[in-house]
Amino acid sequence: MLSALILIPLVGGLGLILWPGKLESQAAKAISGASLLLTLGLAGLLATRFDLTASGFQFEELLPWVEPLGLSYRLGLDGLSLPLLAVNSLLGLVAIYISDPKLHRPRLYYVLLLVINSAVAGAFLSANLLLFFIFYELELIPLYLLIAIWGGARRGYAATKFLIYTALSGVLILGAFLGLVWLSGNTSFDYDSGLAAALPLAQQITLLVALLIGFGIKIPLFPFHTWLPDAHVEASTPVSVLLAGVLLKLGTYGLVRFGLGLLPDAWMALAPWLATWAVISVLYGSLAAIAQTDMKKMVAYSSIGHMGYVLLAAAASTPVSIVATVFQMISHGLISALLFLLVGVVYKTTGTRDLTVLRGLLNPERGLPFVGSMMILGVMASAGIPGMVGFISEFLVFRGSFLIFPVQTLLCMVGSGLTAVYFLLLVNRAFFGRLAIAPPASTPQLDVVLPQVSWRDRAPALGLAALIVAFGLQPTWLSRWSEHITLVLHQPYQGFVQARSRFVPAALPAAVADTALVAPTLAQPLPVSPAPVDP
Amino acid sequence: MTHTLSPATATAHPMESFIQKLLGAKALLPDSETNVLEVVGILKSYGVVLDAYSKNLIYIADHQFLVLFPFFKYFNGRVTLPQLLRHWWHDRINFEYAEYCMKTMLWHGGGKLDEYLDSDDFLQHCRSAVTAKIKTNLPIRALNALFPDFLPEQVRQLAYYSALGQFWRVMSDLFIDLSDAYDAGQVKTIPDVVAFIKAGLVAAAANPITYGVDIHGTRYDLLPKSAGLTFLMDTAVPYVEAVFFRGTPFLGTVSYNAQADQIDVDQARFEYGALYADPLPIGGAGIPPTLLMQDMRHYLPDYLTAFYRSQGRGLDDVRVKICQSFQKSMFCVTSASLQGLLPHPADTQNSAEQAANHKFLAGWMDRLATSRLDIVQL
Amino acid sequence: MTQFFVETSWLLPVYGLIGALLSLPWSTGLVRRTGPRPAVYLNIVMTLLAFGHGLMAFRGIWNQGSRELLFTWFDFADLHLTLAFDISVLNLGALELITGMSLLAQVFALGYMEKDWALARFYGLMGFFEAAMSGIVLSGSLFVSYSLLEMLTLSTYLLVGFWYAQPLVVTAARDAFLTKRIGDVLLLMGVVALASLAGSLNFNDLYEWVKVEGLPPAMDTLLGLALIAGPIGKCAQFPLHLWLDEAMEGPNPASILRNSVVVTCGAYVLIRLQPIIVLSPVALGTLVAIGTVTAVGASLVALAQTDLKRTFSYSTSAYLGLVFIAVGTEWPGVALILLLTHAVAKALIFMSVGSIITTTNCQNLTELGGLGRKMPATAMAYATGALAMVGVMPLGCFWGLRMGVDFLSRDYPLLAAVFVVVNGLTALNLTRVFRLVFLGNPQPKTRRAPEVPWQMAVPMVTLSVVNLLMPLMMGKLLILPPWRYINMPLAALILASGWVGVAVGVKVPLYKSLTRSLNRPLRIAQDLLAYDFYTERLYAKTVVAAVSTLARLSSWFDQYVVDGLVNGVGLASLFGGEGLKYSASGQSQLYLLTIITGVGLLGIFMTWTLW
Repeated sequence: MLSALILIPLVGGLGLILWPGKLESQAAKAISGASLLLTLGLAGLLATRFDLTASGFQFEELLPWVEPLGLSYRLGLDGLSLPLLAVNSLLGLVAIYISDPKLHRPRLYYVLLLVINSAVAGAFLSANLLLFFIFYELELIPLYLLIAIWGGARRGYAATKFLIYTALSGVLILGAFLGLVWLSGNTSFDYDSGLAAALPLAQQITLLVALLIGFGIKIPLFPFHTWLPDAHVEASTPVSVLLAGVLLKLGTYGLVRFGLGLLPDAWMALAPWLATWAVISVLYGSLAAIAQTDMKKMVAYSSIGHMGYVLLAAAASTPVSIVATVFQMISHGLISALLFLLVGVVYKTTGTRDLTVLRGLLNPERGLPFVGSMMILGVMASAGIPGMVGFISEFLVFRGSFLIFPVQTLLCMVGSGLTAVYFLLLVNRAFFGRLAIAPPASTPQLDVVLPQVSWRDRAPALGLAALIVAFGLQPTWLSRWSEHITLVLHQPYQGFVQARSRFVPAALPAAVADTALVAPTLAQPLPVSPAPVDP
Repeated sequence: MTHTLSPATATAHPMESFIQKLLGAKALLPDSETNVLEVVGILKSYGVVLDAYSKNLIYIADHQFLVLFPFFKYFNGRVTLPQLLRHWWHDRINFEYAEYCMKTMLWHGGGKLDEYLDSDDFLQHCRSAVTAKIKTNLPIRALNALFPDFLPEQVRQLAYYSALGQFWRVMSDLFIDLSDAYDAGQVKTIPDVVAFIKAGLVAAAANPITYGVDIHGTRYDLLPKSAGLTFLMDTAVPYVEAVFFRGTPFLGTVSYNAQADQIDVDQARFEYGALYADPLPIGGAGIPPTLLMQDMRHYLPDYLTAFYRSQGRGLDDVRVKICQSFQKSMFCVTSASLQGLLPHPADTQNSAEQAANHKFLAGWMDRLATSRLDIVQL
Repeated sequence: MTQFFVETSWLLPVYGLIGALLSLPWSTGLVRRTGPRPAVYLNIVMTLLAFGHGLMAFRGIWNQGSRELLFTWFDFADLHLTLAFDISVLNLGALELITGMSLLAQVFALGYMEKDWALARFYGLMGFFEAAMSGIVLSGSLFVSYSLLEMLTLSTYLLVGFWYAQPLVVTAARDAFLTKRIGDVLLLMGVVALASLAGSLNFNDLYEWVKVEGLPPAMDTLLGLALIAGPIGKCAQFPLHLWLDEAMEGPNPASILRNSVVVTCGAYVLIRLQPIIVLSPVALGTLVAIGTVTAVGASLVALAQTDLKRTFSYSTSAYLGLVFIAVGTEWPGVALILLLTHAVAKALIFMSVGSIITTTNCQNLTELGGLGRKMPATAMAYATGALAMVGVMPLGCFWGLRMGVDFLSRDYPLLAAVFVVVNGLTALNLTRVFRLVFLGNPQPKTRRAPEVPWQMAVPMVTLSVVNLLMPLMMGKLLILPPWRYINMPLAALILASGWVGVAVGVKVPLYKSLTRSLNRPLRIAQDLLAYDFYTERLYAKTVVAAVSTLARLSSWFDQYVVDGLVNGVGLASLFGGEGLKYSASGQSQLYLLTIITGVGLLGIFMTWTLW
């Protein structure tokens, strides 16, 4: 089952390569779209069969591969990877849907997109460190090519920079993996939470630092982030959507899965530093975003800010904060995908993303009112307005981390306030006012005419917006998958959390359960399994 | 015969070319095939809309005289269920725009109509009509005693309802006739259009503007014939001044904040009228002319619809396109009015008269310097 | 039957939301050939339904205790978020106030906005606005209140930004959002802290928790300060008050709500939070201090405004300042009465302001005059609203002010004096504006001023009647004290201060053409007040400057230090400086190959040594 998620895109890609004669762009799009639709369906099917209460991996597949190396083809699915997997398929589909139908070398383009999708799925599904690394590296090269071939004016620079940074990230991660397994005297690279148990703390910390920098580059965290704005600015819209929505999540996923999951002792030791690092990243990204005048760059810097929340939540490692990492990854994936999508439409129709010249795009007749409305929704979601998934994610992050790192949490909330600042600057500059796409001229000019945005182009934004609102109103649809894995991941940290909680909560005399439920009919029956409470 | 430069032309006006065009029986709008098509087409639909506006304004003035709750004032006296449903579905002409123009005219004033409404003669007529109307309505009588200017002000407004209705009656017929002449191939160029409108305005110039109401079977004159109000000078000119030139600041584009000082203290310096308006915000919030453009879109001649469809976003931004065409047509109407109002014949050889003509036009050109005149040339 | 209405009270906020959703086909432009008015009627009907339903529920609960409706929303580990609604007489009364005002404002907008083609969006936003406010007053949980306060921030942003193409709106909407957001983020800090510490966010649970919590006093103080920050922003209190001034760029019907019930919602949440804020004497003291500064400062600033809307928006801040004082001194009853009476009176004043703007296309006080004889409904509405706003007659606000002075004079005579001063200053300002607008000779812009049509006149007259009947209604709702408990000397003091204000207002010379005095010290004082003590410049020089400097600094640092350093030194030395200069795609493919080989070799090498 799981292999299919990896293989279907590959088969689609193979089909494209072997397609006889000239491959029409439309056909390539249809084929690759169909394969990703299939994977999305499959992910949905897996979700229906997913056992919410089972611990560990489900639907496991195991093929011995290079046994002397400890590399096995071992796949598994759990509550951490399932939502990410679905988002991967979904955003892959969106990326294909919005790809320019007239782009050159369509065959290569769609093959690369499919390979990325397959590699990312593989990374999320891997249950073997080396296998993860292979998939992690596999996704690099297609992305590099996508930027280098279909990018903007400075694509070569941006792509190379991306490649160097991420290659370095790969090396560090590989080193950490090798070190972890070999130092602990294991022969298998299969995931095992007890891998590092026997290692001295110093060694664990060294390994963790390597992982942190490796994944920190990918996430990206300050000061390893400078590849990201360049990559986003030069990448085409579909690639930006994928990059922000899915690929960055490999970094945070790695952080949670390997840092938090495999190196608990070191994680606990470094946690306060990590939280502080998160604060710096959040504030730095948000402040830098304020000064941007390129819409895309602004959204890119906002990514740096928002991914910092994941680090904070992971550092706190309470059950709520761990589920918050999943929430924040999904929420950021959806929201930033939406924002990049809309910025792409603005760029496509007006030919500029410059906030110093764009004005009044909300104009209902000649402007982009739909894009504007969606943009307002997107930035509000990003700024954490309730009713959308951004709010509940941030609330969980803050609520989960507050008792452990109160100061850092409060500072991160300042970052959440700054989000409103830069995004409001964006919306009010570009979408309010009199419609203009160029600086005012001294000679009389004819009134601006922008091309119409068709419903075809609007559909993906509408779909993403619907998901953003749906998860915002019903967060249990998202949390139910990860409930169990969260508690498992939290297990080693119970003592840590208890010891670090600054203010021991006073017992509540009147618990919520005691108050009468007057209207139970509306209450959602929740698939809640009682939290395992340590005596 | 020796040509001597008149003193006015010696100091050439910055917009001299336009002055010469107007004197030469040409128009402020350049002559081109698409311009003719746009102008005539839009005036046709404008004529249809004006017909509805005019009928309704006159109906309100005549039959909704001092009705406090005129729920059905847009129904012209025929209220049926299907009509009511269509009204609620907002599938109707936006008569609010006609009232907006009326109020703008009332507010800016100007002309003998405005003067007459402040005269004792009017107050006397007004008082007798009001007394007859509220004879049995005790609360309103009390209110009238407490606020003696309340009802006369309403009657002044009703007089403007009627006057604007009568003005638009003429204009509507004129624009429909213009369209018929174009369809018949009699009008081919922009100067033709201007000449046609000018002829219509001149023909109606001396039409009397009167207003009276029937209350309980008795006729009460409010604007009697003896007031000597005429079509051109007392409705057309104030209308052009109020609606084409001055207008009112749109809430959607101008701040009313007193400290921001965006709105001039002096209404005479207002430049919010049709000749200055920016068509881009049409369709947006706080832009009243959207209502007119929306009304006209239903009555576009097929050739104009086809023309709009072939451009840019097609019919999706049709209201902006209508506004652009409308602005062009209003420059034609302005050309015709200015030519009609010239103090002396345009082709006069008398240099004093020439100078007077020139001075007259130069004054208007000064005001048009900041209008969209330069953009409709493109 | 009435039980049914009580049990379905959770529907009350939903009506507005349904209205907002129903207007989508028109506001999104899906329906283009016909006009947007069906959305208008649908929204008015939904509000009417909410009002009617609320009335039935109110009658149903009148003789019963309050009810709590709970819906589990999100349960995870130790986090329980419930949607809690408190259905009580008080809350339903507040809801009736909100839906009633919303109804009147929407009918008023039928006239005020009749020339606006974006009606559907406007009414949709009004529905949304109403839904958020209704939710706030019914909310029984801080989580719900916080969420809805944010919704209110959002809808304020959208309503102020309604005329998005207007240059001042662009900044006004942004500033309204950001200023409120400052308060909201601080409040969120408090909410998160409470959620973590108390485990539940339901008000009733929190009140229990307050009795047993054992936090260090410093924590209590910080918590209290965070909790009051949200209401400070919402109620336009110093230093987060400037947005209300700017928000006057928005449509007037929304201003009617904003100056009456929206600020009330912020204060309502404050009153719900008060039992928690009492943990911190510092926070209570801050409330009183902020309230006092705002009440006196804003009353003075209102006197110097030349803008019809702004002068009253400052007076809103001033009255909410009095509410803050009442809450800070733990007299929530005073706060509630003031909120109710102020809302009803201020809404009426803003209606008359709306009709003046419609008729004269002007809101500059120096250009108005002589409207009184021509506009009876408007003039009477203004006069009634003004009388109900201040203590000069036993109408609405008199009772609130009287109660405040009565209670405060025992322990805090100085604060009682603030009530008296604000009353006097407001009376002065209302008289000044009345003279400028309704008396005197007509000016060019007020020369032709026919009274507004019925869509605007009917709500005005209705609300005037409500204002006149307010004392009776309060008596019926048992809010007014029995005669013998009224402290006559203090009531007389209030009336006296009001009449002194009126007298000064009548006597003070008003200059039409030249509003700035020629006397230099006076002019400086006048400017200081007219520009709101230069708060805007204070913002610009402090917060705004700090954020933008930091932003530019980060951006510069990013471009030259981080990028330069990491790129230039770190990576260039690692991969041999030439690399980054490669840009043509052919060359970079070669480069790619080297990197992959390098990484591969590195892997093999590491494998090899450890094999």
